[in-house]
Amino acid sequence: MRADTNTNKGFFVKYRYWIIIGGILLLMPPLSLLFQFSQDSNFCGTWCPRMFFSWRKGMTGGEFIIGFARSYLGVALVFGVLISTFFLGRYWCSHMCPIGGSMEVGSKIVPDFLKINFSGVPSSPVRYGYLSVYLIAPAIGIGSLCCNYCNFATVPRIFGAAFSPADLSYFFRTAGLINLGLVVVLGFLAKGGRAYCNFLCPIGALDAVSNRLGLRFGKRVTVNDAKCNACGVCAKACPTWAIEIREKARIDQLSCMPCRECEKVCTKEAIRYGRFKK
Amino acid sequence: MSIKKTIFFILSVAVSLVAADYRWGDSAHSIGLIRAKGGEARHPATLQSGDTGYTLIATATVLPPYKGNARVVLEGEPKLDYKIHLSAPVVDLKLHRKPELRNDILYDLQPRDRIALWVLMKPPVLDPVCGMAYNDKFSKHTHDGKDYFFCSEHCLETFRQAPEKYQVTGVRGKYTLAFYDTNTGKAVLSVPVIFKAKGDMHDAGRHQH
Repeated sequence: MRADTNTNKGFFVKYRYWIIIGGILLLMPPLSLLFQFSQDSNFCGTWCPRMFFSWRKGMTGGEFIIGFARSYLGVALVFGVLISTFFLGRYWCSHMCPIGGSMEVGSKIVPDFLKINFSGVPSSPVRYGYLSVYLIAPAIGIGSLCCNYCNFATVPRIFGAAFSPADLSYFFRTAGLINLGLVVVLGFLAKGGRAYCNFLCPIGALDAVSNRLGLRFGKRVTVNDAKCNACGVCAKACPTWAIEIREKARIDQLSCMPCRECEKVCTKEAIRYGRFKK
Repeated sequence: MSIKKTIFFILSVAVSLVAADYRWGDSAHSIGLIRAKGGEARHPATLQSGDTGYTLIATATVLPPYKGNARVVLEGEPKLDYKIHLSAPVVDLKLHRKPELRNDILYDLQPRDRIALWVLMKPPVLDPVCGMAYNDKFSKHTHDGKDYFFCSEHCLETFRQAPEKYQVTGVRGKYTLAFYDTNTGKAVLSVPVIFKAKGDMHDAGRHQH
């Protein structure tokens, strides 16, 4: 099948996995380079990209703002991601995120017969159901999903566990094992490796909104209806099951990230990143 | 929105609510301030009595002007076996000075440092009758497929007469993860670690973060 495809693709298509692996080597233990510029060793603390937008019951406005100040590098990261997505699409998710990237690369190593296909589950309702509870539950005092269920805490510690007793300690408790289970089942064992990203990532959920809102202004993966013959190869290749085949292929911009796996496999060159001239 | 999507949305909300409400009793996270005049944790770390091992993640920030070295001790009776690990980069590129942990002493704490300690705790086996902690004079007795340990013939006999009255409950009550300045001996942070019975756990961990 590969022989029929257009091989003249750009750097971000050809070398996506290498970019992800490079990011993992730089950002995950044992090196954890990004975090060492601050006083941290992982995504927790200053770099936490999730806790700052979670309002807890009884919190004052001042405390909420202090949360932004405490995790200022995580705040910068998230706003950077949202702004870049608005104009360029979700390159953070597809190429940069060492967490989603680790799960996707890990899933490539798992043999196909072990993989679970989650594409029967509509991702947006699950994602936004989770995000609603993520935001509302702490605000009304039910409890928190933040931190208790966090793949940004789990994945770096999978890498670190071999080297550091502190990282290994993360898994010596039920919550750590549950998180490991979620990462394994929805990440490493998922077909495409992105079910966790698609269902349970709060940043991904916000980023998807930015992707959708910026649709008119920025570059996205698009289908040329004139060329598309609705063969469905792209839908099978999509790790986030964002493509639906009706009369033509349709891309759900709430789930699409520009990994461009669809573009790689399309024999008709009917999919590209950017717009087709009408 | 289609019916299928609506159902998945409702299911997702329901499962997420249960997940947000439920709390695992074998781990807790405390957030504290290390202060020269004695610092406090924002809330006690509450753990469920009866488990064989526990993990406490104790994060703390050093408030100015405190600087110094602090010995970290888990206090309380009966004594728990514990190990403390400091979260630190595996390959430290030394871009920043950081406090170090050696032999349970945090060296070189400076204002605004943030530390994350992982405290692994293992409670002792208790005599179900008198609550005494296990030592090598204890005798083992098996009842209903479960092992029980007794400090004396007297306790074993009491148990035999009405075994349904005595369950192994594990440690209960208040322990303290205390940080003592090595120069002055004063506590610069005290984190209460409270072991509660299962029924008393409902309000635990509400303000975990």
